Amino acid sequence: MRPCGTFDVKYNQDMSVVRTRFQWVMLVVFLLALFILLPLFASGHWLAVTNLIAIDIIVILGLNLLTGYCGQISLGQAAFMMVGAYTGAIAASKAGLDFWVCLPLVIVVSILVGLIFGAPSLRLKGFYIAMSTLAAQYIIPWAIIHIPNLSGGVFGCHTPPVKLGSMTFDTEREWFYLIMTFAVILTVIAKNIARSKLGKAFIAVRDSDLAASILGINVFRTKIIAFSICSVYAGLGGCLFAYYIGIAHLEHFSLLNSIWYLGMIIVGGMGSIAGSIFGAAFLRLLIEFTAKITPWLMQAAPGVSEGLASGIAPFTLGLVILLFLIFEPRGLYHRWEIAKSTMRLWPFPY
Amino acid sequence: MDFFLQLVATGLAVGMLYGFMAAAIVAIIKSSGVFNFAHASIVVLGASVFWTLLVQFGLPMWVCIILLFPFSLLLAIVIERLILRPLTGQPLLSVVMATIALGVVIESAQVMIWPGMYRVYQPPVIPPGSIRLGPVSFGTTEVATFLVCLVCLGIFAWIFMRTRMGLAMRAVAEDHQLARAHAIKVERIFLVAWVVAIFAASVCGVLTASIYGVNANISGIGLYAFPAIIFGGMESIRGAVIGGIALGILANLAGGYLDHYVGGGLKEVMPYIIMLLVLMVKPYGLFGYERIERV
Repeated sequence: MRPCGTFDVKYNQDMSVVRTRFQWVMLVVFLLALFILLPLFASGHWLAVTNLIAIDIIVILGLNLLTGYCGQISLGQAAFMMVGAYTGAIAASKAGLDFWVCLPLVIVVSILVGLIFGAPSLRLKGFYIAMSTLAAQYIIPWAIIHIPNLSGGVFGCHTPPVKLGSMTFDTEREWFYLIMTFAVILTVIAKNIARSKLGKAFIAVRDSDLAASILGINVFRTKIIAFSICSVYAGLGGCLFAYYIGIAHLEHFSLLNSIWYLGMIIVGGMGSIAGSIFGAAFLRLLIEFTAKITPWLMQAAPGVSEGLASGIAPFTLGLVILLFLIFEPRGLYHRWEIAKSTMRLWPFPY
Repeated sequence: MDFFLQLVATGLAVGMLYGFMAAAIVAIIKSSGVFNFAHASIVVLGASVFWTLLVQFGLPMWVCIILLFPFSLLLAIVIERLILRPLTGQPLLSVVMATIALGVVIESAQVMIWPGMYRVYQPPVIPPGSIRLGPVSFGTTEVATFLVCLVCLGIFAWIFMRTRMGLAMRAVAEDHQLARAHAIKVERIFLVAWVVAIFAASVCGVLTASIYGVNANISGIGLYAFPAIIFGGMESIRGAVIGGIALGILANLAGGYLDHYVGGGLKEVMPYIIMLLVLMVKPYGLFGYERIERV
């Protein structure tokens, strides 16, 4: 939906991400608020939550390009993250590389892994792709446990602190700037991929791969590129996460995490970049909320408290994802669009 | 040679379990076209419900088994009516994700209702012991698992191939519209398929739990049904059973012979490695249909 009275007279205008002057103003205001006001007023705890949200955004931007745009269901996003996390951690702790040197390495390794687990998509689609990525979720941790000399096995692999010049990133606020910068840059890249020729090819493959191939799109190549992009986003997110918490460990990248990432793009809205941001924020805040109310619930129901503590968060999240699927399958993004078009006409809707 | 036979024999019992679970999932795929990722969680739930009936209420075992039927019916109605009916016509990912989310909900509900790590059936469902046959010795749990799965699959096959209901189920699997034209209530067939599948999952859960104890981790065993389905082909119940048995034996052999070289744990990932290879080489499995599509 575009605002009333705004007409595109050039191709560039039609393709642009930010269309009107008002949108430019809003964007600058939003970025200023994000980078100046939020770190000024938020406490350490909420900055930590924001950092996690930003990492989630990075990870599910990739997943949204793969699943939302290209239609390939990935149940192994956390495993791809794990690859990035361990590559970064091992390169730094064993080979002594700098964080900034690790990043290109992470990208290369992620692309390779994306190629391996995307390769079955040559002849497959739908459930079958979900299955081959589910296999990633089992095979990658197994492989990592079995190279204990490099990965530290079940104890995980510690990461050195990140330095930029003479500055060391060690407080939440400094990390906020680092992670958020990554998140903003990667969001811009994702948005541009989505509107480019490649992004259109993704959508064509999602809607009907046979029709796409008749249109002259190399379906396999498109799928493989989607897998690689997704895996790079996951790898970068995983690498940042490992450096942020100081250790790369298997437990942070379980099948359940992969499921939450899929849940985030469903709650946010599949096939939309803004939706990824909404979804990540919504589910991460929900996790935070359940963690807050669990002690209170445990007092209210002492008999079942032992199981309640471990079960309440996945129960709530699973339920929320189910409710979204049934009642708002287009996600929060759709609601946001409705809200925007309502605001434009307010207070005289007719 | 004895070692080999032993591995094959234990693999056969576990494989039969995988095959039985896979067959239940395929039954749902064939009737309603839904791939049920929640199956592994239902396995745990069934085992836990059975534990409550048997140990907490102290009911005799045959009553417990009969009571699994109303449990299956209730769960099937909830799943079919409340979750999958509203998703009719939605894209594949929605349905896949719905069953995954449902699995998470069921599993965390199980953790909340039956907290703690480990429970055992008291009295034991299968009396412990071992049977010797030539060079190979079986645990009674393995033999019982194998036999129960075989009998259940036999009943399953009989219903499917010889009864009016089974005929209706096969008709629905073939074509919903044609089945409807022959006055088959397609929605009711969906429900029947779900009831059968959930009952089968519960039986599998009881069998698995009598070996490993009742805890949330046995859902991991349930997850091995997926590689079995891919191996056998998505549309074939026979394929699922054969796939399950083959995977059980292959995983056991790999665990027995190769663990030494790669440092252990191969048995757990072997089904997935095989699955990945099958997906690359023969993606529609041994007995699956190769789809011909039109735009």
